[in-house]
Amino acid sequence: MDRREALQRIGILVGGTLSASTIAGILGGCSAGPEGAAFAARTLTDGRDELVAVLAELIIPETDTPGARAARVHEFADSMLTDWYEEEETARFLAGLREVDERANADSGAAFTELSQAKQIELLTEMEDEAYAWQEAGQTGNQPFFFTIKSLTLFGYYTSEIGATQELHVNPMGEYRGDIPYEEIGRAWA
Amino acid sequence: MSAYIRPRKIEYDAIVVGSGISGGYAAKELCEKGLETLVLERGRSITHGASYVTEHKQNWEFPARNSKGSKMHKKRYAVQSRTYAFGEHSEHFFIDDSENPYVETQPFTWIRADVVGGRSLLWARQCYRWSEMDFEANARDGIGIDWPVRYADIAPWYDYVEQFVGISGQAEGVESCPDGVFLPPMPLNKGEQVMREAIDRAFDDRILTIGRTAVLTRPHNGRGSCHYCGPCHRGCTPGAYFSSLSATLPAAELTGHLTLQPDSIVESVLFDEESGRATGVRYVNRNTGEWHEVNARVIFLCASALASTQILLNSKSARFPEGLGNDSGTLGHYLMDHHFETGAHGELPGLEDYYYKGVRPNGIYVPRFRNVSAATRRSDYLRGFGYQGQAGRPNWSRPMRGFGADLKAKLRNPGPWRMFFEAFGEALPVYENHVSLDPEVTDKWGIPALRISCSWTDNEMIMRHDMQQAAMEMLDAAGARNIKAYDNYTDNGLGAEPGLGIHEMGTARMGRDPETSVLNKYNQIHAAPNVFVTDGACMTSSACQNPSITYMAFTARAADFAAEELKKLNL
Repeated sequence: MDRREALQRIGILVGGTLSASTIAGILGGCSAGPEGAAFAARTLTDGRDELVAVLAELIIPETDTPGARAARVHEFADSMLTDWYEEEETARFLAGLREVDERANADSGAAFTELSQAKQIELLTEMEDEAYAWQEAGQTGNQPFFFTIKSLTLFGYYTSEIGATQELHVNPMGEYRGDIPYEEIGRAWA
Repeated sequence: MSAYIRPRKIEYDAIVVGSGISGGYAAKELCEKGLETLVLERGRSITHGASYVTEHKQNWEFPARNSKGSKMHKKRYAVQSRTYAFGEHSEHFFIDDSENPYVETQPFTWIRADVVGGRSLLWARQCYRWSEMDFEANARDGIGIDWPVRYADIAPWYDYVEQFVGISGQAEGVESCPDGVFLPPMPLNKGEQVMREAIDRAFDDRILTIGRTAVLTRPHNGRGSCHYCGPCHRGCTPGAYFSSLSATLPAAELTGHLTLQPDSIVESVLFDEESGRATGVRYVNRNTGEWHEVNARVIFLCASALASTQILLNSKSARFPEGLGNDSGTLGHYLMDHHFETGAHGELPGLEDYYYKGVRPNGIYVPRFRNVSAATRRSDYLRGFGYQGQAGRPNWSRPMRGFGADLKAKLRNPGPWRMFFEAFGEALPVYENHVSLDPEVTDKWGIPALRISCSWTDNEMIMRHDMQQAAMEMLDAAGARNIKAYDNYTDNGLGAEPGLGIHEMGTARMGRDPETSVLNKYNQIHAAPNVFVTDGACMTSSACQNPSITYMAFTARAADFAAEELKKLNL
């Protein structure tokens, strides 16, 4: 966030009166987060973080804005798998990753991450088609892994600072206008 | 019980149990009348502003991006996580279910806060007056018992509390939903404007208006106006939404007569048979485990509907073996909530050139239009419902097949406008829907826990069909596409279970006859006149409007009455 903008935003909130600690916090910089901190996988060990990064980047690739890898979706996934999900959910996710590699091996005799991007897209499309066939058949039970990795990627990307501020925009506070021309905004709110 | 501290003299004029919407209001009124008032709050102390630790945090600043459903949530907040308001951004305000169990014989969701200010921090802030029709409903239908009051008794108190609370809204002149004292309304967005016009064209019996909400649209009584950041229930430092912390407790504090004591879980009300009066309350300090008694001349129970009734049920004496004030046997019975999680939604085509900016913490309202006149009489069910909802454009979270650059490009733009209607319906008071003390389960401090038995009646289930139908009709009249009705109710499961509306009410109902009710027309226990119950427990029927403003009006009225009675030495 631009510091001037940050100050203005905070100014709105407290009626123009800023406490010293608030100002110090803002002037200290917005991105005090773990950007650049070294990442050590806790659950996605043995290269599985790379497999998630590759899958996530296929789902939301870098275009004119950064993609899922830059937004560290794989790191977010590792944190969710370690701290958030029940063991059973985590085990199911890891089984899904194994199936991706088994599919790659059966098709090309190599791990998924080692395939050409064209081949990766082909296999992911195959997984998507199977997932929709499962859905259209009205099947119940645990959803296909394609849906899991896709929804985790979209969630991880669009709720990241990159996804919410570079690809989309955060709906700003200040006033409410309910019927402005879309072209004034030009993008969906994150 | 090694440490047990008994008082030696009358210490306070008034004790208020609970500091939520009702307790905060009782504290303000009693203090402003010069009464030395002790507020006992079970929750921990929090400070307006400083304790709003997630206010304006961005998603990426939360470990799980502001989610709910973690393994910790499942363990400690198994019930609380059922409500929309619960999540990483608000979990610190909710009660720990693992320490505060209750028994649900059928699914019943009891949402509880555990901080000073109670659920006034977390409420959805919608404020709709009851109408004459609502106070007459039981007598007219022969359901339950008649209310001991009418709209004319309460209307001046609505005026009174609305002026303090600050409610933004639009006067519409609808009889079933009387206009109040309003601050300027928030704007409808494009989709809602289109919907309002379509309803005006197609229906004589209903209107769509902007929600009436306790969120300020201009500075009011020292509080700042809304800056449209969105999630009010994280806390609002300018105090733009009404809560005990932003409004009533500071007003009470200002009088110099308030003593606010957090961490104090009231177990029971103490009753003196000789005088026929309550003498005080017994409570435990949640941190030290020490038990205390404290005395006062008058007691206001405002602990929330079920917690107040739990205290009364736990207040057993020779005179009241079945709980204080329970001569009628109705204490704990006639539990109600509003049934919702049903309605319809549809796409509004042709508005793709419009969008919105800022997050409005408010939606639309369609006041009740069923069973309001001979012409709108339904043969298949009693009472009625209102709709809340909003129009909006879904973002990346909408379903979209595909992946890759193409998907990313599509999700850069919002989806088409979609209008949502969610119905909130009246539930009938029935004896079988009740709470009692569980013979075995207690909380962490040994206080007997509630056993809750509640299910919707046929009347509610039949109404739910119409709640979907009438919403679809309105969408159709606006030319909506892809109209979908929904009902999240599941048989004996979660989704639209009682309690989820967080409008649980009844169980210590008001009435004229001590043989059939717990409270009189001033919220006074018939047989213990210095005990008042002014939260949702007092309700004799449920209407379909969000109830908080009505609790505030009843509370202010009862506090006024109590202060007069104290002066006359009648209590």
